[in-house]
Amino acid sequence: MQKRIVTMLTAMSLMLPAVALAASGDALFLQSCGACHKKGGKAAIVNPADKAGSVWDKYFARGRHTVDMGMSDADLQAVVKYLVSHAADSDQPAAAVIPK
Amino acid sequence: MKKILLTAGALLAWTGCAVAGAGGATVSIPTEDYKAILQRLDTLQKRVDQMEKADSPSGKASSAAMPTKLAKDVENIFDTLDKVETKTLKDRINLGAELRTRVDSFKLKNDPTPMGPPMNGVGALDHNDNYWTNRFRLNMDAEIQKNLLFTGRLTAYKNFANEGNGVNNDANQAHTPGNSSLKLDRAYVDWIPEGMPIPLALTFGRHPSSEGPPSELKENRLRQSTYPSLLFDGEADGVVATIGLERYLGWKNSGIRFAWGKGYQDTNASTAYLDNPGNQYEDTNVYAMFFETEIPGVRDSLLVLSALQATDINSAMLGTGTAAAKIGNMGLYGIHAQANNVVDSGFDIFLSTGINKTDPNGRTDITGMGLLNNDGTTEHSGWSVYTGLRYNIPYKPWNNPKVGFEYNHGSEYWASFTWGSSELYNKLATRGDAYDFYYIQPFNDNLFGRLGYTHINYDHGMATGLYGEPGDSNAVLDNVYFLLDCRF
Repeated sequence: MQKRIVTMLTAMSLMLPAVALAASGDALFLQSCGACHKKGGKAAIVNPADKAGSVWDKYFARGRHTVDMGMSDADLQAVVKYLVSHAADSDQPAAAVIPK
Repeated sequence: MKKILLTAGALLAWTGCAVAGAGGATVSIPTEDYKAILQRLDTLQKRVDQMEKADSPSGKASSAAMPTKLAKDVENIFDTLDKVETKTLKDRINLGAELRTRVDSFKLKNDPTPMGPPMNGVGALDHNDNYWTNRFRLNMDAEIQKNLLFTGRLTAYKNFANEGNGVNNDANQAHTPGNSSLKLDRAYVDWIPEGMPIPLALTFGRHPSSEGPPSELKENRLRQSTYPSLLFDGEADGVVATIGLERYLGWKNSGIRFAWGKGYQDTNASTAYLDNPGNQYEDTNVYAMFFETEIPGVRDSLLVLSALQATDINSAMLGTGTAAAKIGNMGLYGIHAQANNVVDSGFDIFLSTGINKTDPNGRTDITGMGLLNNDGTTEHSGWSVYTGLRYNIPYKPWNNPKVGFEYNHGSEYWASFTWGSSELYNKLATRGDAYDFYYIQPFNDNLFGRLGYTHINYDHGMATGLYGEPGDSNAVLDNVYFLLDCRF
């Protein structure tokens, strides 16, 4: 029993708040894209589910985002990967919806 | 135009100079040069002709016709888009499908007779070296309107070359191998009414209530249920009201839910009033409250606090065939915490705990079984802990496979509502220790395999039951399996 409690506490200690050390696609999307694409912002709100995954790929490959995003190639790749993974035809979680 | 005239003039001057320089006599130049000059003059002439034509009244008419042609082409494109858009709008439901083929090897030692083995629906065999099943799912979703969403799933789950199996009830009919008919696994509508003073959503229908967190780690997919799987894993009909709390607390994806469903409904289709007053059946109602949120400061995480109360539990709920009796109520409480890709380490981890407490009403059924007792009156409490991790191996040549380990322990009187478990032996209902290892090998974005081994040491029996004293058990179950999952 004692061993089980120690195991539980060890597992729980891993749950302490932590900060991501590297910029992820979702963080970049919120920070960089969200700077303009927001309510009342310079550009319309963007939802990854607005397009299918391959459509997102082609959108940026064809240079259809005419405004300079000021992102490195690696960062843009991370953002596109995030958009594709949450695209209209991607897997969506299933649970009763939580309204915002 | 200027360029052409200059070039022509230069050539003429050059020719003229050649003639003048010779005093009017004939000048010899190489044949190739002569031919090149003629060709160049011919090209220039053609270009001049074209320009004159464009400048002519008929040429101007042709140029004016270009916008008209473009306009017609654009109109044709719009007509085609209209047809495509109409067809898309008429396709009201988006469809997806899944197919799983699975082979299991089961070995059960010290079979705890006379209460029977702990496995759902399997007979008295103590081993089966290759038990094959197929499971087909048809997934459906539709954005009916902006704030009105439909999600559904039909499932056919069967054994190879066999149209029947053990016990199915309403909570597990799509999760226990049976015949090849399609079962309604889930079908629900999410409605977010507009103009409400608080962010409110209503979810009604047959809920997403099976394979909940953290099952998605082992299943290699996204979250599949509203409820943590340790407490509730099964098909259920009901209504959930959810109030969004993100705008008040500032915690991402936070909300509080109030849920109601029926664990059993006493209906008798042969009477007009759909009730049989002659029997002892009562409706079993389940009331629940959940608070969930992303853990502040922890990206891609989940915290769920749960409280459930099942009232008027009776044996008919499990379709056992025994004479039904109301035997009491049970409360179930739990905390679930989970975080994916912690600190970008590739590790997904979780910890889930549950406590149950019975409130028997002094009754037993005709076999003498009460609510986790044999006298109808003794109250019992149980607990369980469920923890584990999954590591996403960053090895691209093998499509980034994953490896996971899970452990759960249940006390003597642990009981929850997990009859819809994807494992036939209802691992999370174990009263003892269960160890679960698995390896996931993706072959591409839509197809992956999973190899797994589960070992369970039972301390007490009746892993699936709420009825009677659990009793002691020395049973040991080993399960090795391999499955192929295709989802698209």
